[in-house]
Amino acid sequence: MQLPATPEAVPAGFPSPALDFVHESINLQEHLIHDPPATFIARVSGDSMTGAGISNGDHLLIRKGTRPRDGDVVVAVLDGQFTVKRLRLTSSGVLLEAANPDYPDIPVPELSELTIWGVAYMCLHSLR
Amino acid sequence: MTQHLVALVDVNSFYASCERAFDPTLAGKPVVVLSNNDGCAVAMSPEAKQLGITVGAPWFKLAPAAGQMGLLARSSNYELYGDMSHRFLQIIGEHSAQVEKYSIDEAFASISSSPGQASTWAQGLRQEIAERLGLPVGIGLGQTKTLAKLANLAAKKLAEMNGVCVWEGLAGDYREQVLARLPVQQIWGIGSRTANKLAAMGIDTAGQLRDADPPMIRRRLGVPVMRSLLELRGQSCIELEDAREFHDSLVFSRSFSSPVTTCEVMEQVLTSYAQRACTRLNTRASEARTLTAWAMTSWHSSKAFESPSVTLSLPAPSNDPVVLSRAAKALLPKITAGTRYTKAGITLTDLSPAGVQPTLDVLSDPQQEHSLGPLLHQVRNKVGTDSIGLGRGGLRMPAEWEMRREMMSPRYTTRWEEMLTVHAT
Repeated sequence: MQLPATPEAVPAGFPSPALDFVHESINLQEHLIHDPPATFIARVSGDSMTGAGISNGDHLLIRKGTRPRDGDVVVAVLDGQFTVKRLRLTSSGVLLEAANPDYPDIPVPELSELTIWGVAYMCLHSLR
Repeated sequence: MTQHLVALVDVNSFYASCERAFDPTLAGKPVVVLSNNDGCAVAMSPEAKQLGITVGAPWFKLAPAAGQMGLLARSSNYELYGDMSHRFLQIIGEHSAQVEKYSIDEAFASISSSPGQASTWAQGLRQEIAERLGLPVGIGLGQTKTLAKLANLAAKKLAEMNGVCVWEGLAGDYREQVLARLPVQQIWGIGSRTANKLAAMGIDTAGQLRDADPPMIRRRLGVPVMRSLLELRGQSCIELEDAREFHDSLVFSRSFSSPVTTCEVMEQVLTSYAQRACTRLNTRASEARTLTAWAMTSWHSSKAFESPSVTLSLPAPSNDPVVLSRAAKALLPKITAGTRYTKAGITLTDLSPAGVQPTLDVLSDPQQEHSLGPLLHQVRNKVGTDSIGLGRGGLRMPAEWEMRREMMSPRYTTRWEEMLTVHAT
């Protein structure tokens, strides 16, 4: 997909380095992937995260090596399998939360016992 | 004291580690990666090494006991390794003003710092590569490439080093002990033949080589060995060779005398480098099935560093300069006109002995088939009916599309249809 880019208004007197690239189309790679070497894409199988806007067959952009925060959607290793869950870090403990009432949340005794492969920061969902 | 130091960063058990990075079921298990046609082990996880498995071990011998040993095997997945190698290099580039790709899983980087700071820098880089790529690395630092290699060896051997060793940071008498014990052939660039000649002169250890007389070594063994000697003394004098050969891969790379800024010139460069890589391939009677073409801008430039890279699988193993040149040109769409590239290279992996694969790959180009009939006929008349054939009739080995890669993992990062699956269940 190529989108024509419109140059932004630039205060007079300060040549913007962006002007050098006025004629380039928006590069999705550049805007969606902030850490290219550590970013991976994965396909979602299952519907336990529909409440978070993540459906079966969607694609997730996953960044490795970034510290997961409370509320992040993470790819965690559970029983030797990559699993998508929402990470909850609360005073009462660590929880891997599904975003679908049909699926149970999974309590984690210690954060150190949990292998988080990466943080899913964007979901690509096809509309047709 | 701030000094110029060279770091040698390498990924431990690279192929096996790449497999592990995408497959949690392999964690902590002995893993072997097999050569093409699932013939023999080309890489082992540390656990597999502990089982006594070495490079070259034939899979048919390992397979019967694999279940009992808990040994897991994967066919080699060179597209994945090529892509991970590129990511590895990019991360090192974020932390160093100068990076030289040495092989698929090793790079030299240079920094200016004190030995103490260098150790902190290296631990940070090591942790970052582990977190961002899931790959374990070892880092050796020294005043020269040879000492960096030596330190890297020490970092691997000594668990208490935690994967990082700064040669200049070690106590002087400890360094002497290491040099006195280290066999001379363990020094970077000293092959077994040179080691034998050195042994005949009474030089068996790294320490003895360092203390030998440089002019005498140059006279009797040539300039490269003298350079190794000087590097052991801390004098930097080894430049990377343009062509570098490893047991399972081959690299041809070179810096440009002046930056390349157009696709036209880059095309010439890639063609030329692919042909030179081919010459090396032919010298060792090998063919390659995977090619990585890459270019990079200068680390010193004020502009953002760029290192486009492309890895592709050929339809069949090849040592044909035309085929490899054409493949190398796949990099061109990633080249930005106007960007000042200072270096480019070709990496060939998935090597196999030449001639065991079909040379008549007629199925890959159906249009050629028509002209082949009369040609086949002529050849048969001249040298006999079994000399040439179409399809399986002409093959001494199973065709590539029948080659066994039964245990190959998905090409997670280079094929859309093979990307990682994550479970929302």
